[in-house]
Amino acid sequence: MAAPTPTQCILTTGNIMTAAHDILRHGTMSKSSTELITSLRSHIRSSPLSPPPSPSLSTPNNIPIYIPTPPAPEPLAEERSEYDVTVKLFHLPAAAADAHETHAQDAVKRVLTTLGISKIDLLILSLPGISFDAEDSAVLGCDPEDVARWAKTYSTLEMLHEDGVIGRLGISEFGSARLAAFLPHTRIKPSVIQINVRNCCVVPKPLILMAKKEGIELLTHNDCNDILPTESLEGVLVDEFNVLEKGRAVAPMWVVKYTAVIRSRGVVENKGYVSSISP
Amino acid sequence: MGLLALGTPLAWKDAKKLADQVRTLGIQQLLEIWNAYRGNERDILLWGDEIEYLVLAFDEENKNACLSLRQAEILKALASDEKLQAAGGGVPAINDIEEKSEPFPTFHPEFGRFMLESTPGAPFSLSWKDLLSVEPNMKLRRIIAKNHMAENETPITMPSFPRLGTKGVFTSPYYPPTGSQSRSQFIPDECINPHIRFPTLAANIRARRGSKVAINMPVFYDENTPKPFNDPTIDYDRHLYPEDDDVRNGASKEGHIYMDAMGFGMGCCCLQITFQAKNIKEARTLYDQLCPVGPIMLALTANAPIFKGFLADVDVRWNVISGAVDDRTEEERGIKPLNNNRWKIPKSRYGSVSTYLSDDPRLRPEYNDLDLVIDEDIKKRLMDNGMDEHLSTHFAHLFIRDPIVIFQETLDEPAEGKSDHFENIQSTNWQHMRFKPPPPGGNIGWRVEFRPMEIQMTDFENAAFSIFIVLLTRVILSYDLNLYIPISKVDENMATAHKRDAVLSDKFWFRKDLFPPAPISNRTSPTGSRATTRPATPVAVEDEYQLMTINEIMNGQTDGDFVGLIPLINSYLDTVNVDVVTRCELAGYLSLVSKRASGELQTGATWIREFVRSHPEYKKDSVVNESINYDLMKAVEKLGRDGYLEGLGEKLLGPRSSS
Repeated sequence: MAAPTPTQCILTTGNIMTAAHDILRHGTMSKSSTELITSLRSHIRSSPLSPPPSPSLSTPNNIPIYIPTPPAPEPLAEERSEYDVTVKLFHLPAAAADAHETHAQDAVKRVLTTLGISKIDLLILSLPGISFDAEDSAVLGCDPEDVARWAKTYSTLEMLHEDGVIGRLGISEFGSARLAAFLPHTRIKPSVIQINVRNCCVVPKPLILMAKKEGIELLTHNDCNDILPTESLEGVLVDEFNVLEKGRAVAPMWVVKYTAVIRSRGVVENKGYVSSISP
Repeated sequence: MGLLALGTPLAWKDAKKLADQVRTLGIQQLLEIWNAYRGNERDILLWGDEIEYLVLAFDEENKNACLSLRQAEILKALASDEKLQAAGGGVPAINDIEEKSEPFPTFHPEFGRFMLESTPGAPFSLSWKDLLSVEPNMKLRRIIAKNHMAENETPITMPSFPRLGTKGVFTSPYYPPTGSQSRSQFIPDECINPHIRFPTLAANIRARRGSKVAINMPVFYDENTPKPFNDPTIDYDRHLYPEDDDVRNGASKEGHIYMDAMGFGMGCCCLQITFQAKNIKEARTLYDQLCPVGPIMLALTANAPIFKGFLADVDVRWNVISGAVDDRTEEERGIKPLNNNRWKIPKSRYGSVSTYLSDDPRLRPEYNDLDLVIDEDIKKRLMDNGMDEHLSTHFAHLFIRDPIVIFQETLDEPAEGKSDHFENIQSTNWQHMRFKPPPPGGNIGWRVEFRPMEIQMTDFENAAFSIFIVLLTRVILSYDLNLYIPISKVDENMATAHKRDAVLSDKFWFRKDLFPPAPISNRTSPTGSRATTRPATPVAVEDEYQLMTINEIMNGQTDGDFVGLIPLINSYLDTVNVDVVTRCELAGYLSLVSKRASGELQTGATWIREFVRSHPEYKKDSVVNESINYDLMKAVEKLGRDGYLEGLGEKLLGPRSSS
């Protein structure tokens, strides 16, 4: 009998601030991909076994498989206005560009549900295959086709902004050349450009100038280029916990990282990851 | 220092009769505050630093660096300027460096007449803009202070003046050390802030103790230091006051630098940070969690290797201050059997914290392992009025002390709605943390003061250590860290922190695992090996902590599990949204702290020691003479003023940044 159409698999880490024991280990804490994999492992380990791992991954009515379990809501402890909720959405290389719209909506919805909120203060978009070049050689032009694809993916977020679901928009790894090519295609200008922290003291001048001119804030991050390496993921899901059968290809579609920070006190109350994989 | 109410202070013989009355009223005031503010919620994070300066007066003719005693005049000039600014005026010379929008910093008197204290005009928040304004604000304060001094005067930031109490001329103007308040044979009373509170404080501490204070700090034996070293500056033949017998009765110890007055300690400068917590619970958490960090930061900020003109075998000021205000009688110190006093008391009023105070399930009873002296009646009164046991115990411990300075007038007024009697005891308990209830009537919340750090020579360093502590508190709260170790181990660490070069040469007790316990595994992986299960019973307290170097504590272990406080702060900064400029600045501050811990950069104490020992006039006999001191003070002045010192400052601060 042919297996039913495989649906999606939703991986969650829960609040990793309260599980720092496993995650902030010496030597493993500087990389966010390790953080994601480690926190996923930790969450699987500490979660109840039900629903049982399903090697065939068949579910009725296209309900996703949750690993480890359907996420329990983790509502914010204080009033919503006390928080800055930031979400970073990683579209991963395995996902087709024309699926970005559905993926973005799905990802945002899951964060809102998890935190019990109706609005994200800042959403930062991370596009596949783009890394920040500190040289920022503005002479290199951008492929118009690339730019059009970025703009299309971004437009989903613009709509979510217009619907009041996202406050500010940001985009990661854009230097001045990309930004210059990209801006004319946006309706809602990004408020934030996020670049890797390693080079934060050598931010290229053209980017600083352009950000200043456009009123864009330059934020730092320390995320890996490959936020969810397939190999490590398979290691956890197949070899370690046997929630997926051996030999099945695992294709991560998207990852969201969310943080809820109590603004006036700088205390991080909740941080976690959600990811969707196509098995 | 606070509490500068004017009035008639009572001499000790009269004050001691009123001690119980002051304590009773103090507890009444504490309970009023407790009842009014215990429900405070969601106060925002506000914080501020206190920087203390020594004011130098250079005598260029004789190439001598002295302490200026013009505190009052300088403060007067600053105050009148503040008025000018409030009236929309200002001082032309500093207009170009001041942002008009910024509140004018506040300057305060201190015990030493050669000292100044400054605080930011308004507290800082946690916004990155505020964090980045800390160093400029400190620099601005230094410039403003300097601009209100005489041409030959300058504010410097180091804990102790190297030649305070030496035989030669070390104050400007010179006074002979013959005063009746301190009765010191080294420091003239004219060094004490003349406000009546301060000389009374000095006199009453001496009177209560029954002798002069006796501070003995080990001398650093250099090649030519006479061995055994007997402090050659002591005059055994002085017969001016009864207390001159102290030295004839063995007050000084062989191998030690002997100091005999409150001014030696209260003349030291510190870097203190105060935080407002969101509520009383968070304040108590921060108090406890920062407590074990105290000795580590003391060793890491070590900046005081010279006392009374001699190189010492310690690097920090702490025990000097502790001894300088030690008002315990011989009975209380355990030298004589108890007769007139109620308790034998193990520590000076200035000392490391003796009890944790949180209402926190993580606080195991084993952590409060000191034989704590408390006033049982006061504890009962507090608990009868609804205060829980830990907090009642804390205050019942503070209140074993007598009020030292009592102004008669304050007892004639109603005690309600004020905190003066409470503060009389509270603020003369100088422990390395201070738990500060809100002042009555205001909208200030529960606060915690972090007090052990030594003032650094540059504002870059002072900003770096202040911001390190601020970020550490955010990490503690965000990751719900647990730093508890038995409080007796904090005491041990405090002693260790004094040792010469403790920052690199010694190890400190620290908790192995700071994180909340991992959840119990519900799942065994098929391979069976990787899923850890935790034992249901907690580990023995002795297994929770270990000896670590400060490098390991700060930067993490290379061959162990401990992650290190700085990697944790970086992890926090990777989690919150930080702009590139802020992140870069913060990286500079964290790098300084990290490199001090690893030894890549020197502490101020090591740097000063090296400066002295490589000075052409140094005779390898531990003596820091006028000429060495003059050159050292010039170097320290330049460091403070310019933020760098070509050719010498790199070992302290790293290569000068191009910005």
